[in-house]
Order: sequence, then C-alpha cells, then structure tokens
Amino acid sequence: MTRRQLTKWVGVVSLAAAIADVWLGLWVTPPDVNQGDLVRLVYIHPALAWVALYLAFGVAAICSILYLWPRTRSFTMDRIAAASVEVGVVFTVLTLITGSIWGRPTWGVWWTWDARLTSTALLAVMFIGYLALRRVPSDPHVRARRCAIAAIIAAIDVPIVHFSVVWWQTLHQGATVLNPNLTPTIHGIMAWTLLLSFLAFTGIFVWMLLVRFDMAVLEDAGVDDGLESALIDRRAEGSSS
Amino acid sequence: MSQQRNDVPTPDTTPAIPQVARGSKVRPRLRLAMVGIVILGAVGFLLVKGLGSSLDYFKTVDQAKASETQLGTTVFRLEGIVKPGSISQSTLGATFTLTQGSGSIHVVNRGSPPQLFKATMPVIAVGHFAADGSGIFLSNQIMIKHSASYIAQHPKRVTAGDGSKH
Repeated sequence: MTRRQLTKWVGVVSLAAAIADVWLGLWVTPPDVNQGDLVRLVYIHPALAWVALYLAFGVAAICSILYLWPRTRSFTMDRIAAASVEVGVVFTVLTLITGSIWGRPTWGVWWTWDARLTSTALLAVMFIGYLALRRVPSDPHVRARRCAIAAIIAAIDVPIVHFSVVWWQTLHQGATVLNPNLTPTIHGIMAWTLLLSFLAFTGIFVWMLLVRFDMAVLEDAGVDDGLESALIDRRAEGSSS
Repeated sequence: MSQQRNDVPTPDTTPAIPQVARGSKVRPRLRLAMVGIVILGAVGFLLVKGLGSSLDYFKTVDQAKASETQLGTTVFRLEGIVKPGSISQSTLGATFTLTQGSGSIHVVNRGSPPQLFKATMPVIAVGHFAADGSGIFLSNQIMIKHSASYIAQHPKRVTAGDGSKH
C-alpha cells in the first residue's frame, strides 16, 4: 500500500468512526442524571482536547527535540512539528469553542478565568505565536531551530493544563478517565461511545497530519522549482539579447 | 515522496544571526521583534488575569466564615453545597443555604440561577457579605460546579420518596 492510499484509508475509516460517534452520542446513549441531554457534549469536547494537547502538541514537542538533537536533525522533523502544531491549534480552538458551548448551560457562564480555562487559552496563544514565528522570513535552518525551541517552551504548558484541576481550585471538573485514581467515572455504552470519540478524532488527527506534511513538502519543492524556472527565464533573456 | 534533498543531516555551524533570504536586513528583524512583543503582551495579559484570579478561584464556606470580618464587602466567589429544602425561588431571584461540613452561609441571589441549579449540587456564588454584618451573602451570579461523573438516567425506574427518579 502506498502512502497516498494509506492516507486515504485513514481518512475514510476516521470519518466512518466520527459518523458512528455522532449516531451513538446523539441517539443511542442515554441522558445523564444531572445534565440530561447536555452530557452528549462529552462525546466531542474531551476528544478534541485529547488530540490538541496530548497528540498534536506531544508530537510537536517530540519532533522539535528530535530536530534539535544533532544526530536526528532533519527538515522532516521540522515539517512534522509544524504540521502537528497547525492541526493542534485548530483542535485547541475547537476545544475552547465546544467547552464554552457546554459551559453556558451547565455552569451558567460562557467563560471564567479559572486555572484550567486560563492555561488552555495561554496554550492556544503560545502555539498561534509559533505559527506566526514560522512566517517570519529567515534561513530555513534558523527558522527550524527557533521554532523547535518555541514549541518545546510552549509544550511546558500541556502538563500544567492537565494537572490544573488537581493542583488548584477550578470551576472545571476533574478528569473522567485520566483522573488521579485512574478510575473512570463513566460506564457502559456512555464509556464505549467516549472511547470511540477518542479513536475517531485520533484518526482524523493522523489524517490531517499526513495531508499537511505532504503539503509542506510540495510547498518547499514549489519554492525551489519557482527559483529554478526564474533562473532559466533570466538566462534565456540574457542569451536572446 | 521524492523530495528528500533537504533531509540530509547537515551540521549547523552558522551563527544564530538570521540570514535574510529576501527583503532588507532590518525588516524581518523588526517583524520578529513585533511578533515577539505581541506574543509576550498576550501571554503577560493571560498570566496576570490567570494568577490574579485562577489559583484562588473560590473560597469555601469555612474559609469565608473564618475571614468574614476581614473580607467585609469585598466581592469573591463562594463555594458550597446547596442545602436540601433551603431553596426559595421568586421572580427576583433565589435564596438558599450553602453548606460545607458544619458551617453554612445564607445566600440571597439576584437573578434566576442556571438550569442545573438544585439541592445537593456544588455551586459557586459570586458576590459579597451584606454590609449590616448579618452574615448573609449577597450574590448576583451563580455557577454550577458539576462533577466529572456521568450516570445514565433510567426514566422507567421507580420514583423515590422525595420525587426524584433513580
């Protein structure tokens, strides 16, 4: 199976899993004793946060370390890190939006400055800063090193976001699955649907990462080809005159 | 993918001075500085907002009672469990008692509480103690602190004595 086919199948399977998640989440699973139908947001919001924080920014941090490591210094690592941050920022913003939609009817507020929400907003701002840093024109090696350092610094906030609900008082509830006791407080079909949402969004992340990485390779090749064709044109001009 | 030419590991011996590919030598640096200032400003704003209010997000009933005189009429967030049978709702708002362990504080809230508001729920009331020293907490906003447990409703099961379904 070629890379292109693999990418396609990851996309198709993830989309099917996401559709199954929507069906289970909206029609099959029961309402919650306290939250009623509002509980259905649990089948999207935590999965988005999982992809953004742990997968996307995790991959970005690991690839940034691998780029800085002398023996594995390659533009492949730089490109994977950049692609991962880009997907991660999209998922972080979606996490903030779905969290806000969930917060209004349950908590009573769209937003509050508690430790979990503040540290997540900080994470979004820092990785948007990373994307801005990539747009600053510079030598590719300098840019890659600069961005790798920025990604590692920004990723320090990931464990802070995770443990914020344990370390400090927050309005946001603690973790349902990855809590300090590692005892999930969700069961039966609700737990299985939650697991499916994690798998579906993980698949969507992998698909987006593969597509974005291939685009980055093509973009860089395009810049080189553009330069080459421009050189050929100038030479042709020179010889014709 | 065939474009592998950039992937050859090359030892980086260049100094950390940006080698400018296009444009003048000043503009990219200026842009970098501007990006840096904007990010630092945003991060700083969030840190001040965050450190100022996040870490001490609320006071529990016991903490608030212990420092009642000190707090005066300062606005803060008060956390406690809604005492069953203490809720009295009107068109103007709601009054109820927040408890925690043995302590309790009577809350008078202006405006109707969120839809999940009910007895035994942990809630946060935003407001201050009354100026008359009665120990009544006057709030204008209630937030519900729901738990991380999700339990299915069983609508066809028996109704308990207090009218709630389990």
